[in-house]
Amino acid sequence: MTMAGHDRSSLRKVRLYGVLIGLLGLMMLPFYAMFSSTLKPESEIFAAPATLVPSDPSVQAYLQVWTQTDVLLWVGNSFIISVGTVVLTLLLAIPAAYSCARNDFVGKRTFLLSVLVVQMFAPVVLIVGLFDVISQMGLFNTYLAVIVPAAAFTLPFNVWMLYGYFKTIPVALEESARIDGASQLQILTKIVLPLTKPALVASVTYTFLYAWNRLLFVLTFLTDSAKYNIPRGVFSMVGALQTDWRMMLTVSVIGIIPLLILFAFLEEYIVAGMTAGAVKE
Amino acid sequence: MSLAEEYTETSDNSRLERGLAYVQRNSRAYLLIAPAAVFLLAVVGYPIIETFRLSLYQSPADSNIETFVGLQHYVEIFNSDIFYRLLWQTGRWVVAGVAGKTLLGLLIAVHLKGDIRGRKFFRTAFLIPWGIPYAISAVVFRWIEHPQFGYLNAILLKLGIIEQGIGILGNPSLAWLGVVVADIWIGTPFMAIIFLAGLQSIPQELYEAAAIDGAEKWHQFRYITLPQLKSVVLIATLLSTIWTFVSFDVIWTMTGGGPISSTATLVIHIYQVGLQNGNLGRGAAYSVIGFLFLFVFAIIYLRIYTRGGDEL
Repeated sequence: MTMAGHDRSSLRKVRLYGVLIGLLGLMMLPFYAMFSSTLKPESEIFAAPATLVPSDPSVQAYLQVWTQTDVLLWVGNSFIISVGTVVLTLLLAIPAAYSCARNDFVGKRTFLLSVLVVQMFAPVVLIVGLFDVISQMGLFNTYLAVIVPAAAFTLPFNVWMLYGYFKTIPVALEESARIDGASQLQILTKIVLPLTKPALVASVTYTFLYAWNRLLFVLTFLTDSAKYNIPRGVFSMVGALQTDWRMMLTVSVIGIIPLLILFAFLEEYIVAGMTAGAVKE
Repeated sequence: MSLAEEYTETSDNSRLERGLAYVQRNSRAYLLIAPAAVFLLAVVGYPIIETFRLSLYQSPADSNIETFVGLQHYVEIFNSDIFYRLLWQTGRWVVAGVAGKTLLGLLIAVHLKGDIRGRKFFRTAFLIPWGIPYAISAVVFRWIEHPQFGYLNAILLKLGIIEQGIGILGNPSLAWLGVVVADIWIGTPFMAIIFLAGLQSIPQELYEAAAIDGAEKWHQFRYITLPQLKSVVLIATLLSTIWTFVSFDVIWTMTGGGPISSTATLVIHIYQVGLQNGNLGRGAAYSVIGFLFLFVFAIIYLRIYTRGGDEL
């Protein structure tokens, strides 16, 4: 490579990283605004114009948040709702996906396409009808009122994800297990599911995140504030007249910490899940 | 079914027995999809029918009295100014949002494509906004855009662009932009990741050949990247269109549809009318109209998704 060429390629590198860091900075700005505000004392957060760097940073807000808000309760509820949704979705999705991957039967195509259509039907346009159903089933104000619709709308992704994956597992493996006398259930739990681990992790992550993040169902079907999840809790802190911004932002930071941890460890699976959900390989 | 059974079944040529075995084999397949199918019918199928039915009734949420009114809701909706304002505001919201997400996503993906240092770090970092609750992103943007204490005003003042703090979300002609920015921020990571996956599946030889022919970077992008990425862009923007169309949490948390309904979209109106004001019948009629839009998107999506039809 000539000297000029070398200069040009390193210049290109500088530009590339410059643009990337610039874009990243732009994307991170809201996090900075959120986090830096929680480090300000009460007097500084209500300073106009805002100070871009906290002049006297303290973790006081994080100490106050435990006594002044229900943040722990909301995080706990979010866990209950997310775990419940994951369990219900998998219980429904695994048999269905397995059946479609291993059998050819009349109606399979219809089933799979209908499932795909469900994914298109966003909950919010269904919310009026859903409201009626939830009240009729007597689920109103129970965790199930949130878990049931969340499971319905995460089911499509799970069925398709697992269906695609099950198909890649050789039937021969299952047949030899069958010869050894393993039952259908044993084959599924001891052979197929362990092999499906990557797809399962993606499914669980997607479903968990979906249920963790949703405001609509909790807003509509849970009036009991003791069952609020994190988004609903944060929303409830937006006052009509006055909002305690400092506490609200602090709750927000705490509410996203579990997700940041999840992201750090499962980034690959999340990406795999996102792409599998949208673009067929 | 045991292997032995299968064996006898294939060796026996009696039509009846083969038929029976076939049904038996299928019954297990049906049994396994039954829970999911029944569940979806109950939680999605039935509400759809219920929504259509409700849309023909005058039905307040707090009472059991329903009066059949036929198509009255639809007639009133199509004759109202609100409906056309909602259409305009929804269209503006979707077009601006999807365009922003697509362009920014493409920009990020193109820069992440190469063999760069710390790609995993960048990819994770860019992904985070997508993964956190929309309601939290919404309050953070609400805070940034706060008329007195917000960071946006502080920055604009410092740069000398404005002389006085402005309240974006309180201004009926600006508020929708304040919300769109938050929505773009939330939706861009998805686009970036999908585009990145698409970019990485483009054969490298195409670029090498073009480079030998002396093609400029921009020409490579224009004549190789874009055409190769076409189907991925199509799917991603279509999905994004659907999601933006039905987006609820962000608008609801940031403005509740206000000020003076300037940020309300069709779905926000469904919620306001049907659940907040308790007019289930009218809300249901708006929902049915929303369905029709989604239905069109869904058909286009299915067409593209099942193109070739070999996958099923």
